[in-house]
Order: sequence, then C-alpha cells, then structure tokens
Amino acid sequence: MLQKMYDWIDERVDITPLWRDIADHEVPEHVNPAHHFSAFVYCFGGLTFFVTVIQVLSGMFLTMYYVPDIENAWRSVYYLQTEVAHGQIVRGMHHWGASVVIVMLFLHTLRVFFQGAYKKPRELNWMVGVLIFFVMLALGLTGYLLPWDNKAYFATVVTLQIAEGVPFIGEMAKTLLNGDPSIVGAQTLARFFAIHVFFLPAALFVLMGIHFIMIRKQGISGPL
Amino acid sequence: MSEKKQQVSRRQFLNYTLTGVGGFMAASMLAPMVRFAIDPVLKASAGGDMQAVADVSEITTEPQRFEWTVEQVDAWYTSDVTHSAWVYKNENDEIVPLSPVCKHLGCQVNWAGNEDYPDQFYCPCHDGRYLKDGTNVPNTPPDAPLDLFEYEVKDGTLYLGQPVPREEV
Amino acid sequence: MKKGKGMKFVGDSRVTADKQKFIPKDYSEYPGRTEAFWPNFLLKEWLVGAVFIVGFLCLTVAHPAPLEKLADPTDTAYLPLPDWYFLFLYQLLKYKFASASYFVLGAIVIPGLAFGALFLAPFLDKGKERRPHKRPVATSLMILSFVAVFWLTYEAAAHVDWEAKAENNKPEPPSTVEIDTSHPGYAAYENSCLQCHGGELEGGPAAPSLIGIERSVDEIKDIAVNGIGNMPPDQFQGTEEELQQLAEFIVSVNEQE
Repeated sequence: MLQKMYDWIDERVDITPLWRDIADHEVPEHVNPAHHFSAFVYCFGGLTFFVTVIQVLSGMFLTMYYVPDIENAWRSVYYLQTEVAHGQIVRGMHHWGASVVIVMLFLHTLRVFFQGAYKKPRELNWMVGVLIFFVMLALGLTGYLLPWDNKAYFATVVTLQIAEGVPFIGEMAKTLLNGDPSIVGAQTLARFFAIHVFFLPAALFVLMGIHFIMIRKQGISGPL
Repeated sequence: MSEKKQQVSRRQFLNYTLTGVGGFMAASMLAPMVRFAIDPVLKASAGGDMQAVADVSEITTEPQRFEWTVEQVDAWYTSDVTHSAWVYKNENDEIVPLSPVCKHLGCQVNWAGNEDYPDQFYCPCHDGRYLKDGTNVPNTPPDAPLDLFEYEVKDGTLYLGQPVPREEV
Repeated sequence: MKKGKGMKFVGDSRVTADKQKFIPKDYSEYPGRTEAFWPNFLLKEWLVGAVFIVGFLCLTVAHPAPLEKLADPTDTAYLPLPDWYFLFLYQLLKYKFASASYFVLGAIVIPGLAFGALFLAPFLDKGKERRPHKRPVATSLMILSFVAVFWLTYEAAAHVDWEAKAENNKPEPPSTVEIDTSHPGYAAYENSCLQCHGGELEGGPAAPSLIGIERSVDEIKDIAVNGIGNMPPDQFQGTEEELQQLAEFIVSVNEQE
C-alpha cells in the first residue's frame, strides 16, 4: 500500500533523487558513538535542531491563546497557564526550550571550535552557524517581553537603553525597535511579537537550510 | 548471496525501529500540545445561571422584546453582553420566551417586522418567517422553529436560562 | 541512463520515465567502518533524542515556566535581570571600565570584538592544524572567553536572592472585583487605607491585598484601629460610624468574589 503510493508519486515527481540526497549517504566511523563513546559530542548539533523543532511547534500552539497586546498579553498567558489543560507544560516547553537550545548551540559551537572544524573548506558554514547563534539570542531577547510581566518590561527597558547607547545610530535603532521614541508599551510589544514570530524565524529557517545543505555538500570534518 | 538477503532484512528491522523511535519522539512532543489546542472542545460548557429578565406583570399576550445584561467571561476577557428574548403569554396563560435568533443563518427576528405579516416573526435577512409560537412558516428559509428559553418564575419575576432548540415541525 | 534523443518522459513533463530502482549503497565496501545515515546512524541519533525528550518533559513538569506580576512601570522596587544567557553582559556593564563615559566600550566594543572574532574565526586562525594543542592562541582565547563569561554570569547570579525575587513577584489573578466608589465606606477607605492598600484594594509594596480576605466586620474594625503584623495601630482616622461603614465596604467588596 505504502509502496504503491510511493511509486505513484515517484512516477510523477521523481522523488527518489531527493530522498537519496537526504537519507542515502555514509556516516564515518569517528562520529559514531557506537564505535567511540566520545563521539557523543557530535550529537549537540542534532539536538539543537530537535529543540528548535520543539520551539517552533510549541510556539505555534502558544499563539492559539496568546495575544500581543499590553492589556491582555499577561492575562492570556496567565489564562493559558492556569486554565487550559497542559498549558503549563506547553509554555514550559517553550520557556525551557529557549534555554536548552542556547546550551546545545553553545556546546555545538565549542565542539566545532575545539576540533578546528571551521577551517578550510568550512569557513562559510561556520559563519552561517554563528549567525544562527545570533538569531537564537535575538529570539530569546524578543521572546521574554511577550508575557508582559515585570521581568519582561524591565529587562526590555534595559535592552532598549543599551541600544540607545550605540553611537550615531543609537536613537534611531531604539525607536525602530521600540516603535516610539520614549514609551515602552503597546507598539513595543506589537513589534517584538512580529520580530519574534515572523522575522527572526524566517531568517532562522533560511540560515538553517543553508547550514544543512553545506553540511551535506562538504560532509562531516574528518577525525583529528 | 545469502549475506545480501540478511542485510535487507536487517535494514528493514532498522527501518521499523527507526519509525518507532521517531514516532515516540513525535508523540511525546505533540501530545501535550495537541491536548492544549483541543482544550476548548473538551471543556464542559457551563450551563449559564438563570437571569432575571422582567416582571411577570409586564408580559402580555403580544410578544415583547426584553433585554437583559450578563457578565460574559471569555477566557481572559470579561465583558457585559446584552441578550434579548421575545416573551408573551399564550392562551393557556403560559409564558413563551422565544429566542430572537433566526434558525436560518442567525440574524435577529422581529415580531411584526414586516407589514405584510403582522402576526408573525420576520427575519429581514432572507425573509424567514415564524408563527407566533415560533414555528417556522413552510417554504421560507428557516428549517426549524425558534429556540425556547428555559425559564422559571420566582416572586413575580421571570428568569431565563439557556435557549433550547426544538424538534423540527 | 540514456542521453539525448532516446530519453523517455512521463507525459509532457521533464520527469524521466525510465526508473532506476532505489538500491541503498552498501557502505561496507567503503574504506573504514562507515555506515548508512538512514537508517543505521539516524536510529542512534533518535535514540539519543528520545532520551533527551523524556528528560526535557520531566524538566517542564517539575519546573513550571515562571510568570511574574503584570508589568507595572511604577514598581520601583523591582530588580530587572535579563535571562541567564545575557547575564554576563549585564554584569560587564556594572564595572567602572564599562559604564558611564566608557559605556560604549562595555556595551559595544568589547562584545563586538568578542562576537566579531567568533564570527571571523576561520580567517583569524588560518593554519592547517586542527588539533587544539597545536593552535595555542585560538584555544587559549576561547578558554579565556569561556571562563570570563562563566565567571561574569556567576558574579551576576550569585548576588541575587532568586527565591525572594520569585516570591515578591508572584502573579496575582486578575481582579474581577468592582470597586463601588459610591459606597458610604469608600470615603473612609480613601482617607485612611488607600495610600497603602491601593485604589482597588489590590495591595502594594507595604501592604497586602484586601481582596480575598475572610474577616468579619468586627475583625476589620479591630485591625483598622489596632493594626496587625507590620501594620501600625491608629491608621484609621474618623468617627465610629465611618469605621463601621469602612469595614462594611471592605466586606462587601470581598463578597463579590
């Protein structure tokens, strides 16, 4: 049955080569924890991706209840956490996932750095990876304003102060982020929501796509 | 040759295990989220309280529109919402509280809303009509009679609950 | 695969009609002990992933995501702290060489240099050698930054009483109580209590909320005159009648719940 469906699609769209690109390649011995236990360090990249998937999914589900509005944002978060079944868990997954993904990214970066895996020919992929790291940090930064609690508000005020301190473009950068030259409020929340939910994830997906394509093209760096 | 055959079955076994492990990961990730999303479907709808609507003495044999305001809690948003009902006394001196919501597409019906039908409820959206007891007039868009409110009379005051659909006539 | 004129296509598409069977390569023929990504290696990765998600879900169940009070820009007692992964920056900006007139140095130049160096690492460390001990400069700089970030984070976190902070900022359920300002006791409330207990009886830094208390009229009268806990006596100023109205007002608000 499944085979027939596959054949039907394959005849028309020729998916076997795509499938080959994704799945059919060899994995060298030195990254295989079954051969050397120390190869577990190669798991951090995959786990980062896994947590990213968790973040995307839990974020999608959270927006079913969340509203980005200073009157109601906190109330909706409080509601989904206290009244909705498993709300505590879904928000927990998004909250803790944000921390875990930073930890995993950090470990992945350290692995690549100390193995010197960023050297020729993988310079570009390293740079894309660092950009992914920045996007993740920005996602964390924009994300914690969204519940509109005390922590969200005051941490964002500080962040905006730092942005303002940048020479020459500081004022503009702050207003651009804030939506208003001085008030941290309705417009700030709407902007941070848009950045957190649309702009940064879009950038993240593009960067991750490039990252993965380059890994498949170049293969895993050899053993030390 | 036999070695090759064994390889294929080993590959199949690995494929099944892989599907199983992948399924476990997906399920444990999605289970809380799906339960979270479908929560409104599973939540028992709270039967609303009876609300005081009108003095029984005000109710005549002619349908009158009565309005009352309830505090509606919509998750994190609480607001006052006005409901209304068409209420009259029938020939047996029983109170008939009819929902004003047309059974066709949910517009508001009016008693004698059309000059041509002074003894009927009329829906302006698609010319739906109902007799005085709420029965839909055949060959007009609605296919069911108007809902009847649950009601009770206490100390001369009419209390209304939820509108209850009636069987098709 | 045939090239040129002999090629057959599916319908008028560009999909070739001659299908090659999908036979996975046998990696045992390759040098070294390699194995197929699908399904052999992926299975191992996913086993790790399965263990990970179990641990992760345990974490989310054991430690609910914190939510603090609704943002209150007038809350001067609040100590703003970023998430843990920005604490090192927060701490850095506390030091003299990174604040005041050196703010640009601390907020822009130092982090900019560090992250810029990270971004451009492949061009700063161009040698062929990959082993960490064969490229001492890169390795020691990375270890140094790691230690610095770790230490700054520790310094920032160690001086915060996290438990007290969480306790002071517990979320309060949104108040559904309406304050009837025409109640005869409201004027007395406004005169004697509002300053500490707030316009909506919601409490403040110095006094608890008066909503959700289960006290009788007489008990409230007694507290208003004699105080309780941190509340000093003689807070109420007015006549006996006003005192009675005040207590009735507070009880009436609580009866709305």
